[in-house]
Amino acid sequence: MERADLHGLAEAGACAVGAAAIEFHNVDLSYSGKPILAGLSLAVGKGEIVCVIGPSGCGKTTALRVAGGLIKPDSGSVKVGGKPVTGPRRDVAIVFQDYGKALLPWRTAAGNVSLALEAAGTPARQRKERIHALLEKVGLHGHADKYPTEMSGGMQQRLQIARCLAQEPSVLLMDEPFGALDAMTRQTLQDEMLSIAAETGATVFFVTHDLEEAIYLGDRVIGLLPNPGRIGTIAKVTLPRPRNQLETREMAEFLRLRRALFDFIGKAEG
Amino acid sequence: MNRAAKALAVPALLLVAAEIATRLSGTTSLAVAPPSSVAVALLAALGDGTMLAATRDTLACAFGGLFVGGAIGLVLGLLFGLVRPLDRLMELTVEAIRPIPSVALIPIGMLSLGFGYSFEIAIVAFACVWTMLIMTRAAIGGIEPRLLEVSRALRLSTLQRIFKIVIPAALPRIIVAFRLAAGFALVVAVTVEIAANPQGMGYGILIAQQSLSPQLMLAYLLWIGLVGYGLNVLLSLAQQRLLGRAAMGEVRQ
Amino acid sequence: MNGRRVLWLAGSFLVAAGFVWIWQWIADHRLISPVFLPGPDRAWAALVKGMTDGDLTEKLFATIRRMIYGWLLASLVGIALGAAIGTSKALREYLAPMFEFLRPLPASAIIPVAIALLGLSDPMALAVIAFGSLWPVLLATIHGFSAVEPRLYEVGRALRLSRPAVIFKIALPSASPDILAGMRLGLTVALILSVVCEMLAGRDGLGNWILLSARSFRAPDLYAGVILLGVLGYVSSMAIAAVEHRLLIWRGRAR
Repeated sequence: MERADLHGLAEAGACAVGAAAIEFHNVDLSYSGKPILAGLSLAVGKGEIVCVIGPSGCGKTTALRVAGGLIKPDSGSVKVGGKPVTGPRRDVAIVFQDYGKALLPWRTAAGNVSLALEAAGTPARQRKERIHALLEKVGLHGHADKYPTEMSGGMQQRLQIARCLAQEPSVLLMDEPFGALDAMTRQTLQDEMLSIAAETGATVFFVTHDLEEAIYLGDRVIGLLPNPGRIGTIAKVTLPRPRNQLETREMAEFLRLRRALFDFIGKAEG
Repeated sequence: MNRAAKALAVPALLLVAAEIATRLSGTTSLAVAPPSSVAVALLAALGDGTMLAATRDTLACAFGGLFVGGAIGLVLGLLFGLVRPLDRLMELTVEAIRPIPSVALIPIGMLSLGFGYSFEIAIVAFACVWTMLIMTRAAIGGIEPRLLEVSRALRLSTLQRIFKIVIPAALPRIIVAFRLAAGFALVVAVTVEIAANPQGMGYGILIAQQSLSPQLMLAYLLWIGLVGYGLNVLLSLAQQRLLGRAAMGEVRQ
Repeated sequence: MNGRRVLWLAGSFLVAAGFVWIWQWIADHRLISPVFLPGPDRAWAALVKGMTDGDLTEKLFATIRRMIYGWLLASLVGIALGAAIGTSKALREYLAPMFEFLRPLPASAIIPVAIALLGLSDPMALAVIAFGSLWPVLLATIHGFSAVEPRLYEVGRALRLSRPAVIFKIALPSASPDILAGMRLGLTVALILSVVCEMLAGRDGLGNWILLSARSFRAPDLYAGVILLGVLGYVSSMAIAAVEHRLLIWRGRAR
């Protein structure tokens, strides 16, 4: 792809939405001399669901970690909710892919959700009720006393989502959250995530390697190119909501987008 | 700073500090001596052969006990691991004898065997039996069930199963057990010598203390440390040679 | 506990009883001189007598006190130091190699040095016991803290937990299986060193009791002391296993 095109795409990414929840502006980042992100500019609107795809090494997870304040960019700026990101924030929740490592194995489901409330300084009296409501919201009602090791992968990821919701975030950063789950569980959790996003109005920045998942969930799909990571394509998804696992996936527009993104990935990897 | 320099920095600093402190204080202490005179005492004791003779005695007892106790533990561990009913019937007996601290047998050994090699070897052997027994039994119990199914599918005889599947599969953990027992053997041998048996390095350090010679006492301490460290290095090298790097992770268990 | 398990236990009890019977038979027929090997009847009688007139009970508690004090001291120092070293890469690089050298050193070799410094005293015994059981706790704690899943620290950062909260809610519980394993080993070492110190320094306790019994050829008293030491070893390891089970319940309940 030509340089001029890339610049145009970056501009398009930055200007797509008026009131931005997440703004990357010219973000550069390299790790031990190797550039990971180069001039990344992107704006995600309030309440928007943006899915990021790309071959391995394209920096999609790195971009998410920059937005979450876990790593600082070498240059450029990142803003969430209009304020510069200087470190992790309570209104930004991160859902990690490896739920098995991100949950405290010595705490029960209730205890894991409680951790976020303890971090926020919620008084002990109010926690129990909140925990109950949160577990119910992610479909873990009745599993409050189970330890993570006693739960299936899908349940563990629901638990992690519950812990993130306990932060009452305005932005959800999700790093391939359903990548390790089986197909059926993944579809259920996709739908639950969509309804939670609709209910809370949260902005979602969703990294995935699954093209269909990206189209199914997103308002926009951003395709990154590797070495160094930069925006390669932006696809607007106009599929109607609420989405449906069968009907949405059979629509002509879905199939067209799938084809376009498939070709993009094929070229990006080649 | 590279890793070796970092590793040596603190000990070097401590030695220099000890040297300066002992030299400056000027008083003759019964417990501390400048590192330089400890080094001189170490070289002298190594030179006149007394320390080497003591080392030989200690190692002879440690290895003697290790082989006797290790062999008994290995055989019992294999038996208990292979014949589950036997293991269950012996459970209470084993659990009643195992917790007895090995040093508690020192007076019994003194009474029945008198001072000398056989006394020390017996105590070391007692200490080594349990490590070997428990870990060998666990090694056999921990064999991948799929392997045993394979042996049944191949219709191997019982003896074939034991020698072609069970023992090779359990071998890495048995070797780890042997290494742990060996480290243990040296500790117990030195302890028996300090507590009772008048021979070896443990007795050497005790006598150095009683003859009010702190530099020789600390020289022995340093030497015992070096022997322990050397033995540990040799054993892990041997384990690596026998098992390859992949099996090293099991040491922690 | 199901019926089959009870049957096996009964069987293993019978086997143990059989061994005691053989011991009695050997002693009765004087196959081994009674100077070295009294029968279980005489050992038991000595045990009962020692416990009823209080002599042996007193020694038992002296040994328990010594062991527990030394072990607690070692555990406190070991966990605090281990946490500091385990969470700092720099400290680990400077100190870990020295610990690797000190680890195989038999703790009992420090006894003559301690005697030279502190004399044949109770503080000497305490110092030796604490020093000896410090190593297993310290090394296990360092390992536990350095092996905390990095993702959990990230979770702590993402939730903006304070530094004490990260230590007490994430690092310490995560390292607790290693710390407890180190403390269990430390307790065994503490018992062994208590016995050795009592023998060498003539401090009151079971170690001294069995040594004096052997020197004056009171074999039944000697065996009574050894049996008590075995019971002490068993009870202390059971107690710490129960604590481990209680604290680490989250590890056992796997799917």
